Amino acid sequence: MNKENILEQLQNIVGKDFVSNREEDLYIYSQDPGASLSRPVDFVILPKNTEEVQKIVVYANKEKIPIIPMGGGLTLSGLVIPVKGGIVMDMKRMNEIIEINETSRYALIEAGVTTGQLLSYLNKNYSQLQPPIPDSPPSATIAGNVLIHGSGYLSQKHGDHGSMINGLEVVLPNGDISKFGSCALSDYWFSRGPIPDFIGLFTSSFGTLGIITKLSLKLYPKPKFRDVVFGLLKEIDDIPKLLLEITSTGLAEDILLGMQDKPDWMKGYIFVMTYITGDIEEELSQNMKILKKVYRKANTRFMKPPDRMRELYLEKPIFAAGLADIRKGGGFEYVGAFMPLERVPEAYMKAAEISRKYNVPPTIGSRLMSGTHTIIVFFSYAFNRADPKDLENARNALHETNELALKLGGIPWKVELDGQQLVLEKMDPNYKKLLRSIKNLIDPNNIMNPGNWEVK
Amino acid sequence: MGGEIIISVNLEQDWKDIVHRCFRCGYCKFTADFFDFNCPSYKKYRFETFSTGGRMWTIYGLISGEILWNDQIANVIYACSTCGNCMENCRFDKFKDFLVDFIEAARKEANLQGFCPEKQKALVERIEDTTMYNPYGDNNSDNEALKKEYGLPDKASWVYFIGCTSNYRQKELRDATLRFLKKSNINFTLVDEHCCCSPIIRTGQTECVNDFIKYNLMKIRETGASKVITSCAGCYRTMKSDWRKYDDFSDIEIFHTIELIDDLLKEGKLKFKSELEQKKITYHDPCHLGRHMGIYEIPRNILKSIPGIEFKEMERNRGNAWCCGAGGGVKIGYPEWSVEISKERLEEAKKTEASLIASACPFCATNLNDANKEFDMGFEILDIIEIIDKLDYDIL
Repeated sequence: MNKENILEQLQNIVGKDFVSNREEDLYIYSQDPGASLSRPVDFVILPKNTEEVQKIVVYANKEKIPIIPMGGGLTLSGLVIPVKGGIVMDMKRMNEIIEINETSRYALIEAGVTTGQLLSYLNKNYSQLQPPIPDSPPSATIAGNVLIHGSGYLSQKHGDHGSMINGLEVVLPNGDISKFGSCALSDYWFSRGPIPDFIGLFTSSFGTLGIITKLSLKLYPKPKFRDVVFGLLKEIDDIPKLLLEITSTGLAEDILLGMQDKPDWMKGYIFVMTYITGDIEEELSQNMKILKKVYRKANTRFMKPPDRMRELYLEKPIFAAGLADIRKGGGFEYVGAFMPLERVPEAYMKAAEISRKYNVPPTIGSRLMSGTHTIIVFFSYAFNRADPKDLENARNALHETNELALKLGGIPWKVELDGQQLVLEKMDPNYKKLLRSIKNLIDPNNIMNPGNWEVK
Repeated sequence: MGGEIIISVNLEQDWKDIVHRCFRCGYCKFTADFFDFNCPSYKKYRFETFSTGGRMWTIYGLISGEILWNDQIANVIYACSTCGNCMENCRFDKFKDFLVDFIEAARKEANLQGFCPEKQKALVERIEDTTMYNPYGDNNSDNEALKKEYGLPDKASWVYFIGCTSNYRQKELRDATLRFLKKSNINFTLVDEHCCCSPIIRTGQTECVNDFIKYNLMKIRETGASKVITSCAGCYRTMKSDWRKYDDFSDIEIFHTIELIDDLLKEGKLKFKSELEQKKITYHDPCHLGRHMGIYEIPRNILKSIPGIEFKEMERNRGNAWCCGAGGGVKIGYPEWSVEISKERLEEAKKTEASLIASACPFCATNLNDANKEFDMGFEILDIIEIIDKLDYDIL
C-alpha cells in the first residue's frame, strides 16, 4: 500500500489535523536531544482516545507497519525514534486525569498526562498528596517515565517509578484492549495483584509489546516540611559506608550524590544530599541534627548549602533542564545504570577516566533507591549538537560507559540501541529465549517499536 | 517610568550560531504551573513541530541544510503569535530572551527566500502604498484634521503617536487619548505618522523598515518634541525596542499612555470624581506590553485606583497570561484561529465574573472584541484610557 493510502486510512481514524507525513513534522520526530543519529519516520499520529489507538493498531498490524508510541520524547536515548520507519504515535492528546482516589491513594490517568500537569493538579486540588516525579522537565509524561523505570524524590523510600504502577490499560498489537492489575477484575485500580503480574512485561520494554493508554499510579502523603542535608565526602571508597549509615536512620526521603568539577569548591569531592521531611519544623530540625552526626561519623563534611542551590534542589522539577545546558550546545545524554552499591566507587573512578579521555568534565550523579537495594548512577555527557565530532565523541563515551556498567555488574537504564545489544550479549540465554518467545507471541508481526530489544 | 529594553542579539549572524542550544525540553509550552499549555500554537496544532522548541529545531535544520524552505515549513515559522510565553518559561539564561527574535529572524529569512505567506505580504503592500502607509489599507490620515479639531500646535514637547490600529480601527480609543492628553495640559501635537512597522517586523518583512523609522523620527523631530507617547502596546514595543536596532535616537523618549496616567496618579494630580458603572473588571495583559516590555503593575495600579472598581484577576496573568492571538501576523495570516485564541481568553475572563475587560492595546481590544461578537460572550472590552474617559476627573 502506498503512503497516500496509508495517510488516508489514518486520517479516517483521527481526522486530518492529527496525522502528518509532512516533511517538517517527520524531521522533528526523527530525532531527540540525545546523541542518537536521526532515523526516518513515515507518519506522526496523535490519537485522542483508546478507541482511536485500537483502530490505528489494528490497521498497522494488518498492513505490518511499525508503531512507535511516544510520550514526552525525553528519554534522550532515541527510544522513540523509529528504527525501521513507521508511525510515531504521540500520546500527548490523551491527557485526561480520570480519577484521584484519596483513600487508596492512586491517580488514574491517560497516557499523555505530563508530570507537570499531574503535579500541578494535585498541588491545586489534593495538596495532601504527591505523585512520583522524575528529575526530567515537566513535559515528560507520567506513562513514559514509569514505563522506563524512572526514579525521583520518592524512590529512596518507595522504589523506582515502575514499581509504583498499580494497573495498566494496554492496546496489544492484535487490537485487544487489555487491563492489568486489580482493574482487570475490579472497579478499583488500587493494586498490581495478587494475580499473575504481567505489568512488568510493559516496563522497560520500550513499547515493544503494546501501547499503554491508561495507568494507575501510586500517590503518597506529602510532608509539610522538606529540607536538604548537604555534605561533601572526600574519599570515593567511603560512599557505600556513608549511604548505609544514612539509610539505617530511616529518615531519608531521597538521597542524591555526585561528582562534578564545577563550581570549583566541589572539585575533588563527592557531594551528598539527603532530603528529609517532617510534619512539624521541630521534627525537621531533629532529623537534620541526626543526619549531621551521621555525616560526620562517615567522614563527610556537613555544609549549609548556598541558598540559591538549596532552593534549586528543593524545587526539583524546575532544575531539570539546567544540567543539559552545561555545554550550551543543545545536546545531552547520559548512561544511567542500576548498580550494586558496592561497585559504585569503582564506577565513579572509571567513569571519570572515560570522561577525561573524551575531554568532557566528569559529571556523575547517583540516586539511592529502596534503601540501598539499588543505586542508579548517571554518567552525563553534554555536547554541542551542531558539532558532528562532539556528537560522535559523546556516542563513544556513552558506549564505553555502558560497557563499564555491565562489567561492574550493573544494568544500563533506558538504554539506546547499541547498549541494548550489549545487555543482550550478557543476558542469560534462557532469559533471552523467553523474551523472544513472549515478543513473538504478543507481536508476531513485529510492529511494536521494532529494532528495540531485538534478540538476534 | 516603565518597560525595560530587552537585550538583543545580532540578528544578521549571531542567532544562527546559538539557535541549536535549544534542548527541546518543552518548558516553553506550559503555563507557569505546568498544568496547561500556554503556547497558543502548540495548543492548537499539538505536533512538537509547533512548540517553540520544535520551531528552534526546525530553524536549526534550515540553517544546517538538513531541511529546505518550502511553504509548509514557512507555515511552521509563521503560525506563532510571538506572544513570548516561551521566553517566560525557557530555563536557559542568555538564550530565552531571544526566542521571539529567533522566530522573527527566521521569518526574515523566509521572506528573503521567497516563502513569506501571501496574506502577510499584504501588510507590506499596504504599508508601502503611498496612499496608505498603514497595514489596514485605509487612506493615510495626515492627522491635520485632528490637529485642528483639538487645537494642537505644530511645535510641541510631546508627540502623540496614535498608531494605525487606533487611528483606523479603534478611533474611540484615539479620541479618548486625545481628550486625556488635552486635559492633562501636556504640550503635545500629532504628526503625519506612517506605520511604526510592528506588523512587518513581526512578520520578517523588514526591507522598508529603516526608511519608515527614519521618516517617523524626522516628523517627530520636526515638532521639536523629545517625548513620544502612544496608546498602542505594539507601537510602544516597536519604538522602544525595535527602532533602536535600526537607528540611534537617544534624544527621544518613548512612553505608553498608562505610564503618564500612572505618574499623574502618583503625583496626586489625577483625581477621579465619579465611579465606574461596571463594578467587576478584569485586565488582559497585552504581550507587547507585558512579556515583551515587562509592564505588569502599572495598568493594575491604575485600574485599582478607579473608584467603584472591583478588580478581578484572571487565573493566567502577567507573565503567565494567555495571548489574545492577534500578534505576530496571526490576525491577518490565520484569522479564524486568531479569534479562537481570543475566545479562550474571554472564557477565562468569564470565570472572574467581570463584565468589563480592560487592556492597554488596541490590537488586543480589536481581537477580543471580534471574539466577543462572534461567540456572543457579552463583555464590554475597553482600553484603560477609554475607561478613564467614561469618568469625571480632574488633572491638576
